[in-house]
Amino acid sequence: MNREFVCIICPNSCQLKVEYEGKTIKKIIGAQCAKGEAFVKNEITNPLRVFTGSIKVIKGDFDLVSVKTPFPIPKKYLKNIGKLTHSLKIEAPVTIGQVVAKNLLRENIELVATRKAKKKNIS
Amino acid sequence: MLKEKEVIIIGGGAAGLAAAVACQEKGIKDILIIERNAFLGGILNQCIHDGFGLEKFSTSLTGPEYAQRYIDQVKEKKIPFLLNSMVINLNSRKEILIANRTGLQHYRAKVIILAMGCRERTRGAISIPGTRPAGIYTAGVAQELINLKNYMVGRKIVILGSGDIGMIMARRLTLEGAEVILVAEKLPYSSGLPRNINQCLYDFDIPLLLSHTVVDIKGNGRISEVTLAQLGKRGGIIPKSKRKVPCDTLLLSVGLIPENELSRQAEVVLSNITGGPEVDERGQTNVPGIFACGNVLQVHDIVDNVSLEAEYITEGVIDYLQGRSQEPREFQITLGAGLRYVVPQRILTLKNTIFSFRVNQPGIKKTLVFEEDRKIIKKKLFLRVNPAEMLRVKLSSEELKDVKRLKMRLV
Repeated sequence: MNREFVCIICPNSCQLKVEYEGKTIKKIIGAQCAKGEAFVKNEITNPLRVFTGSIKVIKGDFDLVSVKTPFPIPKKYLKNIGKLTHSLKIEAPVTIGQVVAKNLLRENIELVATRKAKKKNIS
Repeated sequence: MLKEKEVIIIGGGAAGLAAAVACQEKGIKDILIIERNAFLGGILNQCIHDGFGLEKFSTSLTGPEYAQRYIDQVKEKKIPFLLNSMVINLNSRKEILIANRTGLQHYRAKVIILAMGCRERTRGAISIPGTRPAGIYTAGVAQELINLKNYMVGRKIVILGSGDIGMIMARRLTLEGAEVILVAEKLPYSSGLPRNINQCLYDFDIPLLLSHTVVDIKGNGRISEVTLAQLGKRGGIIPKSKRKVPCDTLLLSVGLIPENELSRQAEVVLSNITGGPEVDERGQTNVPGIFACGNVLQVHDIVDNVSLEAEYITEGVIDYLQGRSQEPREFQITLGAGLRYVVPQRILTLKNTIFSFRVNQPGIKKTLVFEEDRKIIKKKLFLRVNPAEMLRVKLSSEELKDVKRLKMRLV
């Protein structure tokens, strides 16, 4: 089977012409680095993406902190994780890298904060 | 009272922060960053998606994480900054008037670094006819509302313009539960990076309609419908192609404009093409001691290049402060076929120089040629060129030696 892919690993956006059969890559043309092959391997078996979004902060100097999955997760879960973030909350202070949710969708998916939130000064 | 500073940086976003850290590392002690927002980091704070920092930090960061790496350095190095402070005047004597909660403050600096970034083109800039309902946002404003202010902009969304922010918002809105009906792009090719078409649109089955635009907006109170039309080869509307698309929100991602009101006040000469100052090989404008970097100089597609550019121009800042000047031999760079612009626009002194440029249209296997009269100085092959991507090529001082005229073209 022949298919074209655009590698999303870096801004080079390499356009890859790939010949593959089942889950075996036979030939890749257009990859400027080795990451292209790993990307295609995932794309034809189990496409992976990093989820990014935001959740509510309680008593924080901002209403929201941004969050991400520390590792790429299967693409099919993205929308469901998005829905779940609507009901997640974390109390300030929050630090970058702090785990704010665990085992989402019972698939061992974690979310970590990507922004700081300080406790709001109540004066 | 007029307060004196060695270097004042206007803007505490990606460019300003990197410039401040680099100045300090090069030995400048008396620096001040002026930021109009309540926090440092600029637009990075609302860019919560990942993909930043691949070049600079060899890892994929979100915008806030990328900003924090620089904010931490600014704080560690104890570089002073003012928040909630708006520069309301700048003149060519490098005097600055700031308004903030304490009132008005006057400063004068030996060097000013312009790092004010850019802003978005609006509906007014592209003159879409129709009524004037609520529900029309620029993509960046929608991004700020959703990612920082916890305010959802709409449920049924049409996006005009395929710039990166528009595509990133298409994904973001989808993940927040909205329906993104389509992205329309006036040009026959996308104005964003191919990876974003893939991971922001195709991943969620959002159609990208090339050579399409919005020709009418309807809505009473709130937007209820847009009229979409296809454009012919010469850019005219094909009347038969008009169709109505019901929606409650229209997002515009139709280009960015460097924010140069202050530069104009200081009599800095601007380029008609980039919208930013015309500069020499280290970002110095026509006003000695005023430098520019980041999106106020030229709109970048990748933040890593903003940081690199900000660091790079500080070499010129040091030279200026130390009064180091080689024999100036000013000449302008001329552009031939295939190129939209180049920064720097002129060369003043002999240094290793990075040329940042954009092409006019997409192409494959194009060669960039630097030449003096007919003599070729350097050639560089690009497998693929795309107007959405800023390209960079370096010429060494050895290659530039004895050059008195420089022409760049794409073949």
